[in-house]
Amino acid sequence: MTSKKVYIASTSMVRVGRYFTKSYKELAFDVVSELFGTSRLGDLNNLDYVIVSNVFSDSMLDQLDISAILAQELGLTPKPALRVETGESSGLTAIAQAYALIRAGLASSVLVIGVEKCSEYPTTVVNKHLTKLLDYEVESIYGFTLVNEVALLMKKYMREYGYSREDMSSWSVKMHSNAVKNPYAQLRFTVTKEQVVSSQVLSEPVRQFDSFPISDGAAAVLITSNENLIVGDDCLEVEAVYQATASQLNLRDELLELPATKHLLSKLLNKCKFDIGDAVMEVHDSYSILGYLVVEELGLARRGKAPETINDLNNVNLSGGLKARGHPIGATGVYQVAEVFKILTSGLGDVRRKAMWGLIHSMSALDVNSVGIVVRRCS
Amino acid sequence: MKLSIPRFWRRRFDYYSIKITECLDCGRKSYPRRSICVYCKSRNVRTVTSAGVGEVVAYTLSYYRIEGEEENTPKIVALIRLDEGPIIIGEVVDVDKSEVREGLRVEGVLRKLKSEDPGGLIYYGFKFRPLIRDR
Repeated sequence: MTSKKVYIASTSMVRVGRYFTKSYKELAFDVVSELFGTSRLGDLNNLDYVIVSNVFSDSMLDQLDISAILAQELGLTPKPALRVETGESSGLTAIAQAYALIRAGLASSVLVIGVEKCSEYPTTVVNKHLTKLLDYEVESIYGFTLVNEVALLMKKYMREYGYSREDMSSWSVKMHSNAVKNPYAQLRFTVTKEQVVSSQVLSEPVRQFDSFPISDGAAAVLITSNENLIVGDDCLEVEAVYQATASQLNLRDELLELPATKHLLSKLLNKCKFDIGDAVMEVHDSYSILGYLVVEELGLARRGKAPETINDLNNVNLSGGLKARGHPIGATGVYQVAEVFKILTSGLGDVRRKAMWGLIHSMSALDVNSVGIVVRRCS
Repeated sequence: MKLSIPRFWRRRFDYYSIKITECLDCGRKSYPRRSICVYCKSRNVRTVTSAGVGEVVAYTLSYYRIEGEEENTPKIVALIRLDEGPIIIGEVVDVDKSEVREGLRVEGVLRKLKSEDPGGLIYYGFKFRPLIRDR
């Protein structure tokens, strides 16, 4: 039985971390096995498509066509499989593509697997690959990287609104305190503002504790229009999906706005009428300044006020966000969806909310390729 | 990382000078050189060569460690507004970090970007130093 409605029927994750004894195949196997075990997917007859989100397979794993390799490894052949890559927002783009396939009538059930293995190399090598998120010919070849642009933005924000370095640390403190309650988070410990401001400088004023950690991870989500695959009350309906791109930093007239995010949020919030203050949200906060700017784009804080209000926001990044849950690059968006699913249904550990609505936001680099999804609890 | 000779060479004028895009419809100038205007999307554009002089709008001192870039770390990365109007991201060199400030006048200077193994090719491009041209 199919309908035009698109549901998130089941999710699974491994704890984000550094898995020196496991390969990406084993991480993917673990989450897909759990998903098959807990979902009603049963045999493969109910599955139409496999979408793999991964960013660095060719850079760090020497592997192209990772979706076919995983289909072989996980026993998913002969299902069609493809890899999605839109930089850091790949995971949520994969979910968006699954939604599109189902809405187009080309599939009724799609398995989305997000997997990334960043711990295979030392940090300097991972950093080199991360520079590829920018325009190589114009930015990366000069040795510039995302953290430099983030630093320019953060400095401008602090200057414009009169914040001290310590004031800017509230995001990290909040995210770490959230991550303590998330059993799948990488950094399950609290930090103080003093620890944030005394951590290593990456590109001043950005410090280590403003940044995501280097992470491995795998998460899987079953997207379907087949109501028979819904388990009990554990179900979210995908209400809307929007994506947008934007110019690089030096071409922006308003440096302290996120143009792609602003564009897609206006479409999302125009289509779905709900009180955003009551929704459960997972947003992209690779660096604390970006967390503040996203919160301001969402209207949860006035421009320039996010560092003062984040401590009172108890519906944003309950997972700990990229900052403390971790940022397994291509898997992150899939994690975000799985987290909102669990928070709204059976619980992310003990974190559970009665809210009806969820919003998931992801972006790549400085908001150059961004995705937003709104979900609603089925029951 | 091995660099590609054709990939670099075909853009040599972009690396050995600062090329900007001037829109003949909306009039705005932007960096880098492109076949479109990023602001009004017009294709009615022309490429002009910047005089390479401008001022620092914002800057950061970067300690971020990237494989292959170790000898050029830390470095100062800045947003620079060229006198022609557009903003460019550039590295500021030949300056003590205590002397960098917003509003600092700078000029483009050709410097080494990267080199391959000892004895290999050296790739050059523009960086910025405090303006000395008028002295």
